[in-house]
Amino acid sequence: MSSLQCIVVSPERTEMDVTAESIVLPMYDGEFGILQGHSPVIGRLGYGCLKIRKSGQNEERYFVDAGFVQVANNVVSLLTDRLVPVSQLSQEEATRELEVANRMPSKNSEARAAKEKAVSRARAQLRLLGAGK
Amino acid sequence: MANIRLLDKRRKSIRNIRKITRTMELIATARFKKAMDRAAAATDYTQRITQIVRDLANSVSEIRHPLLQARPETRNVVMLVLTSNRGLCGGYNSSVLRVLLAKRADLVPATNKIELHVCGKRGINGLKFKNLSVDKSYTQFEDKPAFADVAVIANELMERFIAGEIDRVDIAYTRFLSSSKQEAVVETLLPLAGLDTPTQTTVSADDKKAADYEFLPSAESILEEVVPASFRVKLFKCFLDAAVSEQIARMVAMKGATENAGEMIGQLSMTYNRARQARITREIMEIIGGVEALEG
Repeated sequence: MSSLQCIVVSPERTEMDVTAESIVLPMYDGEFGILQGHSPVIGRLGYGCLKIRKSGQNEERYFVDAGFVQVANNVVSLLTDRLVPVSQLSQEEATRELEVANRMPSKNSEARAAKEKAVSRARAQLRLLGAGK
Repeated sequence: MANIRLLDKRRKSIRNIRKITRTMELIATARFKKAMDRAAAATDYTQRITQIVRDLANSVSEIRHPLLQARPETRNVVMLVLTSNRGLCGGYNSSVLRVLLAKRADLVPATNKIELHVCGKRGINGLKFKNLSVDKSYTQFEDKPAFADVAVIANELMERFIAGEIDRVDIAYTRFLSSSKQEAVVETLLPLAGLDTPTQTTVSADDKKAADYEFLPSAESILEEVVPASFRVKLFKCFLDAAVSEQIARMVAMKGATENAGEMIGQLSMTYNRARQARITREIMEIIGGVEALEG
């Protein structure tokens, strides 16, 4: 029986505290799967899908809004600005966000970085919505 | 003693006021509890981010970040002021403004420009009264500040700080120390006064054990993200503190008002009863006098 504690905190509150069998994290550069007994890791999260599989249950999927992850002693703690179940994401909102992001200025390197961030954030939401269908 | 009716009217109106202040006290108590819960829920994130910073500090020789660097001279300063939108909360707003103005007076000689960013209608009006121009005002923050709203302000300040437009950001707000003590303070937000890294003495054995973390992608790159995140959460905490303190201040003020109203009602009742009695006595005397005059 493998078990892994998954804690998700946002600046406002503790969003989730569950025991899972396996967890897939959206890292800045791709997905990252964790099972019991993983070595300690601190990493940067990207915009994407957090998948949690509990024993004998279907996979739960959430949208994660960047942040950090710390893995130690079978406890996976995620620090993120926002955690939304994929079922609660809205297509219109994400599309609108992408439009706004695409119209952002990219005059200097900082503005460009901010724009890229916003675009990838909106795209990640749209991708999740597309995959959910 | 013609004012018996006036006394009675006054007593009635004070009773009404007491009802209102009593209700406000109860509402403030309920809101305070909620705000307190929110503040408590937010500490989890703070603790974890401090933990990550500590683990990072063990493997990075020196923490460097543009947000941490103090400028040789502070020319442009932004002062952020957190006040409430509503009044009737005792000295809450005036004490924030008092510390703000004292600090501002200190800063004026050495700086080029001081921008005032004010949250809350009371602060905006208070500064207008003092003939100070408010550069930016926010009134969307009520007793439940949302992180998303605070993050917008934080990001803007960070961008301007990194771009070199501003050299320092101060915040004037009411810090929550305990439910019986809050104080208005001015703190420097940017440059960040160092992250909460442990001093050498507190690095204990279990921190050493935790030092073998694997970093994805690298400790430096994570640090780059951690510093802004901890700034955002620090600012958010100030907002939460201010919200909790506001409710406490209102609770205390309204409790005082309710008590005073009760006292006043007691006094008025006494005066009223005396006046009533005096009138009755006088009327009896008049009747007796009249009877005696008729008999005589």
